Amino acid sequence: MKKKLNIYSLVILILLSIGINAQNTKPLIQSRLDGTVIDDITNEPIVGATIAIKGITHSVISDAEGKFYFQTGQRFPYILVVSYIGYKKKEVIADGSPIIISLKKDLQELNELVVVGYGTQKKKDITGSVASVPKGNLSQVTSSADNLLRGAVSGVVVTQSSGRPGATSSVRIRGGNSITGGNEPLYVVDGILIYNDNSNGTAGVSNAGAGVNVLSTISPADIESIEVLKDASATAIYGSRGANGVVIITTKKGTKGQDNISYQGYFGFQRVSKKLDLLNASQWASLRNDVQASIGQAPSFTPEQIEALKTSGNYDWQSAAFRTAPVQNHQLSFSGGDDRSRYAVSAGFFDQDGVVIGSDFKRISLRANYERNYSQNFKFGVNANYSNSASNGIANNAGGRNPNPLVAVLYQPPVVPIKNADGTYNFTNNPYATAVNGIIANPINDLENTINKTQINRILTSLFGEYKVNRELTAKVAVSGDVIDTKQNYYAPSTTGTGAGTKGLASVGNRLVSSVLNENTVNYNTHFGDDHKFSALGGYTLQYTKGEVVNAGANSFVNDVNSYNALQDGVAVKPYSEAFESVLKSWLARANYSYKGKYNLTVSARADGSSRFGSKSIWGYFPSAGFSWNITDEDFAKNIKGVDDIKLRLSAGTTGNQEIGNYLSLASIGSVNYSFGGTVQTGLTPTRLANPDLRWEKTTQYNVGLDLSLLDRKVNFVFDAYYKKTNDLLVNVPVPLISGYSAVLQNIGGVENKGIEIGLNTENLKTENFSWNSNFVFSANRNKVLEIGNGVDQFFPVVPNGTLLQQQPVTVKVGLPLGTFWGYKSNGIFQTQEEINTQPKINSLANTKIGDRRYVDTNGDGVITATDKGDLGSSQPKFVASFSNTVSYNNFDLQFNFQGSFGGKIFNALNQQLEISTLGTNASTALLDRWTPTNLSNEIPRATSSPLGIITERYIEDGSFVRLKTITFGYTLPKSISSKIGTKSVKLYVSAENLITWTKYRGFDPEVSSYEQNNLYPGIDFGAYPNSKTFITGLNVTF
Amino acid sequence: MKKIILILILSAGLFVSCTELEVTPTSFVTKENFFITQDDAIASVTSVYASLSLDPGEQSLFGRNLYFLTDMASDYAAAGVSATNPQVRALSSLTHDATSDRVQVAWRQIYAGINRANVAIDNIPKTAATDVVKTRLINEAKFIRALLYFQAVRLWGGVPIVLHEPTSIQVESLKSNRATVDQVYTQIISDLTDAEALPSTYTGTNVGRATSGAAKAILAKVYLTKKDWPNAILKAKEVINGGYGYALFENFADIFDKTKKNGKEHIFSVQFESNQAGNGSSGSTFQSTSFTGFTATEPADIISDVALFYDIYATGDTRRDASYVKQLVNPATGALYTFPKPLFKKYLDLNNLATPSNVAINFPIIRYADILLSLAEAINEKDGATLEAHELVNQVRRRAFAKPISTPNVTVDLVGLTTVQLREAIREERKKEFVQEGQRWFDLVRWGTLVTEVKKVTAKNSVSARNNLYPIPQSERNIDPIGLPQNDGY
Repeated sequence: MKKKLNIYSLVILILLSIGINAQNTKPLIQSRLDGTVIDDITNEPIVGATIAIKGITHSVISDAEGKFYFQTGQRFPYILVVSYIGYKKKEVIADGSPIIISLKKDLQELNELVVVGYGTQKKKDITGSVASVPKGNLSQVTSSADNLLRGAVSGVVVTQSSGRPGATSSVRIRGGNSITGGNEPLYVVDGILIYNDNSNGTAGVSNAGAGVNVLSTISPADIESIEVLKDASATAIYGSRGANGVVIITTKKGTKGQDNISYQGYFGFQRVSKKLDLLNASQWASLRNDVQASIGQAPSFTPEQIEALKTSGNYDWQSAAFRTAPVQNHQLSFSGGDDRSRYAVSAGFFDQDGVVIGSDFKRISLRANYERNYSQNFKFGVNANYSNSASNGIANNAGGRNPNPLVAVLYQPPVVPIKNADGTYNFTNNPYATAVNGIIANPINDLENTINKTQINRILTSLFGEYKVNRELTAKVAVSGDVIDTKQNYYAPSTTGTGAGTKGLASVGNRLVSSVLNENTVNYNTHFGDDHKFSALGGYTLQYTKGEVVNAGANSFVNDVNSYNALQDGVAVKPYSEAFESVLKSWLARANYSYKGKYNLTVSARADGSSRFGSKSIWGYFPSAGFSWNITDEDFAKNIKGVDDIKLRLSAGTTGNQEIGNYLSLASIGSVNYSFGGTVQTGLTPTRLANPDLRWEKTTQYNVGLDLSLLDRKVNFVFDAYYKKTNDLLVNVPVPLISGYSAVLQNIGGVENKGIEIGLNTENLKTENFSWNSNFVFSANRNKVLEIGNGVDQFFPVVPNGTLLQQQPVTVKVGLPLGTFWGYKSNGIFQTQEEINTQPKINSLANTKIGDRRYVDTNGDGVITATDKGDLGSSQPKFVASFSNTVSYNNFDLQFNFQGSFGGKIFNALNQQLEISTLGTNASTALLDRWTPTNLSNEIPRATSSPLGIITERYIEDGSFVRLKTITFGYTLPKSISSKIGTKSVKLYVSAENLITWTKYRGFDPEVSSYEQNNLYPGIDFGAYPNSKTFITGLNVTF
Repeated sequence: MKKIILILILSAGLFVSCTELEVTPTSFVTKENFFITQDDAIASVTSVYASLSLDPGEQSLFGRNLYFLTDMASDYAAAGVSATNPQVRALSSLTHDATSDRVQVAWRQIYAGINRANVAIDNIPKTAATDVVKTRLINEAKFIRALLYFQAVRLWGGVPIVLHEPTSIQVESLKSNRATVDQVYTQIISDLTDAEALPSTYTGTNVGRATSGAAKAILAKVYLTKKDWPNAILKAKEVINGGYGYALFENFADIFDKTKKNGKEHIFSVQFESNQAGNGSSGSTFQSTSFTGFTATEPADIISDVALFYDIYATGDTRRDASYVKQLVNPATGALYTFPKPLFKKYLDLNNLATPSNVAINFPIIRYADILLSLAEAINEKDGATLEAHELVNQVRRRAFAKPISTPNVTVDLVGLTTVQLREAIREERKKEFVQEGQRWFDLVRWGTLVTEVKKVTAKNSVSARNNLYPIPQSERNIDPIGLPQNDGY
């Protein structure tokens, strides 16, 4: 009713105002048309709209009240063409005066504001490469915000380290730049700058295993939008932290209008997506007999026993480790606002059990934001986030062949019972392992009863005040704080493999990191005439970070009753504490100039002073420039059929990386103990040489981009090509060991990344009831090490696992990408003694037998040595792509999303170990085809006792995959029904994640990296938590 | 509105002014605030000793790593099934090459210790320590430096001589060419001669530091290795007659009894204490690699050939059962367990089988029996099989057979041997005496019998003359191929 009244009153107003707005141009004939242009939703007048009569060049502009009139010789009816920036162009038939023309907002119009560093920009004016995560991606089921980036934006590769709830992941925007420094992008959450340093998720407690993803402390349901800044023009404003790209996360805010209460919730379950094929009891018994034969022992199983094991006495340890695990999420939010204030308040609860027993993740998150227009010129606001997350994960074992209990489960001989007849765990009945203090480790018990808990409390809060000095000048001061308090509790009871030897092992640790950021910025916006638009940003920021870490442990407990809560009852192991602080001061500036909206120029610069660098190079300077050209605004390109927009972007600039850890430029003194007279005494010695020249890693990046909109913006195409070169890379340069040191951190290396990115967003079909949109994203990156310094062209990073370390599986070599696997090429199996006598061998002649593996003597020197090893491929994918679709029909909608990664290799270390035959551990079913005198396999060697793991191309597997990542089917209740039950909208949906995966990879899952964010040895799969399939049903209600 | 501007400016200014970019670390000492007090000086020398017993992330030099080179790559020891490192297996079969990680780690550990000694020697003079303490500490550092160079020169031949801490991080300035063997020995003798001024004994929490007796004893071994018989005899006799009170333990097994550490026979030992390395380990890994529980699983460190090295002990020779164990009572079951092969025993703490990495048994660098046998060897080579030489060997034998040490014993004593016979007898005694004591490979190389002796073990038939030295680590030659020419055969 109210709306209608408005329209009537407008009409009356129009009638009354006839003649007030005189038209300046001379009319052709004295015929008059009066009209008003309004927004179709708000009914507010649109000022400055262009109204033309089709077929003649004559046009007028609507005035401050949206009114216009024509004096024309045309006779009714004739066609008016009405256009205004940000609205869809409209043609209306004028068949009488007055006329009201309502325009529809064009959401895809280039006028859209895009969040950029320290502000927003019109999409049309942007010169850099900035991409937004599509809204559909933001509703995925995940525990962590970084997973929302997966497959959403070209040029971004997200690798989750494992399927563990709350697991860490590594995010690479346009490839990794750094060898030893951090490669994660900078996250800006509501203006707060955060480096997602996963070390903040651990307090260094021994054996605690993989860390918890710090970003998982932010509830994904609170996220309104995510923008990814990729090229230097966009990221240089973040200076020394921009080199790895920037991810800007904006949380949901209240809007002016009605108060809303909304509930979003889902419940579901997860199942392990794959199990490995291991030998059953009968198969294992015959393998053990073969192993025994190889070392001259009598077989322990008779043929009758082997036959009998086919029907009874088989224990499936692997299945005992997995379970169907529930996951649920509930989020309640209140939001709204009036003329002067806006607010949003929410509370969330996320609870996920892991598919491996003994693991889970829980999060409680609270958030509030409030903004108030104090006066016409001054507004202030507050953003506050609190979250408490608690996670139980798989603890590490001592290492070596057996990095954690999950791997130990796979190694368990299938003839060994898991539990005793009385239901207790079997700690004694296992003739294939050694008892320690009367306990034979039972890895299922280890998984279930080892406590490995990480609790993170995080407070992320910011305040700002913004003052509009005049129409052109705005000043803003923001202060924010980020506190991460991580507590780890670990206890291995005396019945566990880790705790048995020490009679219980307890460890507790705390890490408290707080960071305060102050940002002071001034914005200036002006224009000179209609053609020249100019804006500038200047600012000074300061970030101060302080951290403290402490952990302590004890062993030799009388019993396991007190767990980790009574260290004083045991014998203390050496405690540890540490403190660190760092300061980053920055000056920043950016200027944008736009000529007629056609030519846009952005220059930016930042000067960063960081306490992390040597006294001689504290300050670094990071400039950039970007240019864009809206070609379709040129006369020659204005009316190309089917083409709406063509935009060309060019940018260049330098960014830096300061993620190298604190104090590394100083000579530190470390403690090493020795004893005299039976008393342990502290010795101190330099552990590092000082490097006062330690300076920034600098990345210079060039970007060319093309944005195309076609067919009434139904097809939107974005193409980018880039070249990045990182110099002054911080490398632990090997120095002669005679110096007493192994390596010195120096700025010496170089790495390049180059690649292309394609984003294609299409509206495939659109009718009144039916629509289908799809989004295709493709990126290819090529990474190459250019230099590692001091005449060395190759080194082998130290993989932190004894078994893998000896194999030196990964290398950094000039000319090859980071994460290159290095090893032998195998060449079948020795079938005759003649072959052994004449062909190159890896062992001595005496130790090589028929049935052993042959290797390729690449250097032809007649023996197989380390020099015969070579490049076996890199873990970096050749290209990644994703294809997301949204289909809706009436109230039904279907979203599905395929993701693929192609050409990356994975070192399947777990499979390598499972293909090793021993007297006491289970093995892969691949060994069924092992060489025997009657099965002349040319693939799998004979059974031997504990052969060494040797890295060959067999275990460097193709990690390519295509997977149906998510599929969601939803139904929204018709308004008529939902309003009857007192709601504004109700949506029900079912969803499945990781439903189907197509891959040749033989491990649990090709999305894996056991060493988390590490850039030197990515793509190793050794005991990583398996991925799961998730099925959920959900409900979204707004009241 | 002015107020608001003022507030904004004030709050911005508050943060701008308060922080500096020079951040002083609060949780670790830097070079700038070290070497000030006497305690700093003492701690720096403690770290020099720690280079022998501790290397986080690796097996320590005398906690096992050097054993691969000095024992496993000799004749009597070998890599068992549990030794999974291919580089260890390669050393056992003498097929190692310049990329051997064990050789590289030994090189690194030795030079890390030398650097710590250099740091101490360069910086102690500027501390507030008393002159007496300064002199003692510097001489202790020189003793360890000499000990480490003595290992290096025997393992690799002429090695680079580095005598000062690095002052630059530029690789060029950190390089140093190989010196000659003679130059290295000159340096060793110089340091040890200074170390002869050390105290002859210590008390309380200083027991275990290097003494003047230790310096003379190592000097005797240095001269013996150089085949400088007169000086070897001179220094060995100074050790014996210098009033230090050294003597043989009556019971051979006491040498490895942790309750009798730093006793009368121990001239210098690497100290291992429970929890010395932190995290519940001592830094010695011998027990965990010699004993894998009451199972048939072969440990990593095993005897290579039972007939050649275990069955050779005469009846009554207590050294066999102090060096090897064939049967052991399983404390969990109370039953006697017989191992398929005798295990090494010297570093097993039978009261502490549950935490094998926390064993507090010292590693003897030089003990009195070594001085007696070295003196016998030097006399025999210089003057022939004299009575004195016979007596020295016989003392060691009498103790081995649990007889009174200074009383001649007809069943045990060697009498009337020729020089050749006595030479052979001394070599047999050393073989039986010093199992797992880091002597065997050095002995065989000194006698020139490495190839013939090691060849007797079938699995070690790859041995050749090249094995009288170890290769310069390839990683070092990658950085400095010109200054570090490779040894023959690698």
